[in-house]
Amino acid sequence: MKSVVIGAHLQRDDVEPIAVAIPVSGLFLSAVAIADDRPLGDRDLLLQVADVRARLLDRATFVAIRYGFAVHDAREAETKCASRAPQWRALLLAHRDEVEMTLKVAASAPAPRPDRHDFTSGADYLRALHASASTADIDQEFREAVEGTIVPLATSHRWSHRDRSSLELSMLVPRSDLEKMRAAGEKLRSQFPKVPFLLSGPWPLEVFADDHQQ
Amino acid sequence: MADQSQEITLLETLDHLLDRGVVIAGEAVISIGDVDLLYLGLNVVLANVDALARTSQK
Repeated sequence: MKSVVIGAHLQRDDVEPIAVAIPVSGLFLSAVAIADDRPLGDRDLLLQVADVRARLLDRATFVAIRYGFAVHDAREAETKCASRAPQWRALLLAHRDEVEMTLKVAASAPAPRPDRHDFTSGADYLRALHASASTADIDQEFREAVEGTIVPLATSHRWSHRDRSSLELSMLVPRSDLEKMRAAGEKLRSQFPKVPFLLSGPWPLEVFADDHQQ
Repeated sequence: MADQSQEITLLETLDHLLDRGVVIAGEAVISIGDVDLLYLGLNVVLANVDALARTSQK
């Protein structure tokens, strides 16, 4: 058997009995146990992990670990994760009552994808691909409305480019303000019916899991 | 409309599952008879080019 790791948690009670708890340097990894020969790309497994992830977040905020990390026992988990435990502990203590929310907004003028035939080297093409993803911008009026309605509800936020056609706002939001955040999203939808956007969450600590770098 | 919302939710959920969160680098200890002989630090990343470019920029 192997364990597909989902997140890092402060307490065992945050994990059990929803998932398997693996102790690591005073913290606990949540995991789903599967057969050694079961591929991680299995559709049903993905859906199962997504479901467990959501139920764990209902229990308590945790540091999300990207799908694909699996261990065979607690010793292996300790070897691979112990060095990160102090950073995770600091994050979990600082954001115990917060979750992430995401606002994806379609770019007002999506940047064109570079044509690979215009480049003589693969490296130049990859650089151009990356650069093109950083140029997309959204409707300025919408952005100002977001800054005035949704952002004030967040304790921390950051805009990021994820592709050529959208911009993403990641926010840390107190659990007690989730309904206010959703209401603000609905208000935005009525004010800007022609701007495609998606407000989603709550999510565990994903984007903000990079904070408190040592 | 309800089906469409559910599809968006599933896509969004899978996007977060597959493309967010902490990436753990692989490490391996080669052992014989419970004796650790060799420790290897592995940095193996499987990602699409766009995701890799975003990560490398941070």
